[in-house]
Amino acid sequence: MATLIHCPEYAGYDFGPEHPFTPSRLGMVLDLLESLGCPLAPVAPPVATREDIRSVHAEAFVAMVEALDRGEVERSKGEPFGLGTPDNPIFPGMDLAARWLVGGTLHGARLLMAGAEGRVLQLGGGLHHAQRARAEGFCLYNDLAVAIQALVDHGFRVAYLDIDLHHGDGVQNLFYDHPQVMTISLHESGHYLYPGTGHIQETGGTLAPGTSVNVPLEPFTGAGDYLEAFEAVVPAALAWFKPQALVVQAGADAHFSDPLGDLALTTQTFEALYRRILALADSHADGRLLLTLGGGYEAQVVARAWAILYHAVMDLPLPEALPPGWLARWKDTLGPEVGQVLHDPDPAFPPLAGHEARTRRNRDIVARLLDTLRPLWA
Amino acid sequence: MFVRDMMRSPVTTLSVGATLGEAYALFEAHGFRHLPVLDQGRVVGVLSDRDLRFATSSFCLTPHTAGDPVTLAMSTHVLTADPLDPVEDAAKIMREHKIGCLPVVDGGELVGILTGMDLLDALISLTGVTKPTSRLEVALTDKPGELARLTAYLAERNVNIHSILTAPAPDGLVHTVLRVGSNQIRPLAEAMRAADFDVLWPLPKPWPH
Repeated sequence: MATLIHCPEYAGYDFGPEHPFTPSRLGMVLDLLESLGCPLAPVAPPVATREDIRSVHAEAFVAMVEALDRGEVERSKGEPFGLGTPDNPIFPGMDLAARWLVGGTLHGARLLMAGAEGRVLQLGGGLHHAQRARAEGFCLYNDLAVAIQALVDHGFRVAYLDIDLHHGDGVQNLFYDHPQVMTISLHESGHYLYPGTGHIQETGGTLAPGTSVNVPLEPFTGAGDYLEAFEAVVPAALAWFKPQALVVQAGADAHFSDPLGDLALTTQTFEALYRRILALADSHADGRLLLTLGGGYEAQVVARAWAILYHAVMDLPLPEALPPGWLARWKDTLGPEVGQVLHDPDPAFPPLAGHEARTRRNRDIVARLLDTLRPLWA
Repeated sequence: MFVRDMMRSPVTTLSVGATLGEAYALFEAHGFRHLPVLDQGRVVGVLSDRDLRFATSSFCLTPHTAGDPVTLAMSTHVLTADPLDPVEDAAKIMREHKIGCLPVVDGGELVGILTGMDLLDALISLTGVTKPTSRLEVALTDKPGELARLTAYLAERNVNIHSILTAPAPDGLVHTVLRVGSNQIRPLAEAMRAADFDVLWPLPKPWPH
């Protein structure tokens, strides 16, 4: 078994009805798991303190979040800190709401440190774009970085693995020069997609060469190429770095139907990835694994993907059918395409043109990445 | 963007009395590739690391040694820039003359140096890839008001534009590449297509959705 972390306060992290990063995604997953008869007993974490936030974020940034939250400064003052943008609108209570998400991920790290648990699933968080002094890409405070910092302060070497559609730039930047932290991100290439970084040449700062690993993939990359790249890079990276804990951002927006991107994974690909990550944590990270959620903007996909994640983490057999009650309750959110089963249809979409060229480019990228890293890992 | 925005200052220099050995020590210690040579404050030459390596190499007909003066190896035909020159003009001069740097002179006094590396910094800054952004590419008709229509559309949606690059394309079109500060450009691109913009990137989903 493993520990599940969640509390109702997570729903407060809400940028409004028009924004894709909506807390109803969490509500849908919880309801699905309950409808499937899962014995949910989530641990409610303590809220993160201001000091916890300050372990990775700049004082001026935190002070600006608080001041905007209380309405004490003009909204335009937030712009240099990425606050009040279409991606990161200002909303009342945002400081506290974000600290709840950080609290959950940090609590997961503390369970690992105390030796109380080897596997933790934080059902929330994953705000990987937040920078030291800047909110970015729906992310206010970087819960992952706060948790990683705590694990490092405890004395662990920490590997961070990011399977979100987007490059995990915030976490990478915060630990780029830190020899105790390795960041690995697989994502749609920054040549095409936000945030525009995560290129193979980003291999770590002068104090930590080889500890930043990026696998940028071509638009419309599917399961075969993705899993091949994962296998070529991730086990080798972990074998070299020898982490004592693995922190994973398990965003589900690399799915083929996600409205914000162009990777073409299916729920079957996600299941294979989740099972591989669980095995790698056991074999390469002393069995210490902390998983968070992340991006994922197609309602019916994230509910199914993260339900699969839960079952994999908890070693439960996968159910086949989606509960009719759940389908009825979330009908308006799910849209017409959800189907009746947990997994995607197979095949999930018609074959895509340009498959051979895409595979060749993806293999080139992986080969060049490994050529760059090998001398640093020697 | 002006030369003064991208130049390095203050500048490490050599005097006409300096030796090649002293110049070599500066190249090694700081990773410089160009050092202006001054005579009573006036720029009289530039010594590049290649000038020095050739002058002291066995391929040189009369190789110099560490004790020789820098004036024997430096380039004396020195082109300079003004701090208020537009950076693109400085780039054009360096490209045409195939030189690696321009000493920047103001009122007869050396105030900075602009190198090829500084021009790369300028390119990166101008294309807006220094911030987390998304790439949006739109084909506009080459006629007045089209770029204004595009920027007004983005402004209405509070989408911040970090950079705009335009390149002429066949059939009377202008390919316009924007780096915008938003993670949500696919929904944006769909709305723009509905508003009659020819969006080249991001592409629509290739499967029915």
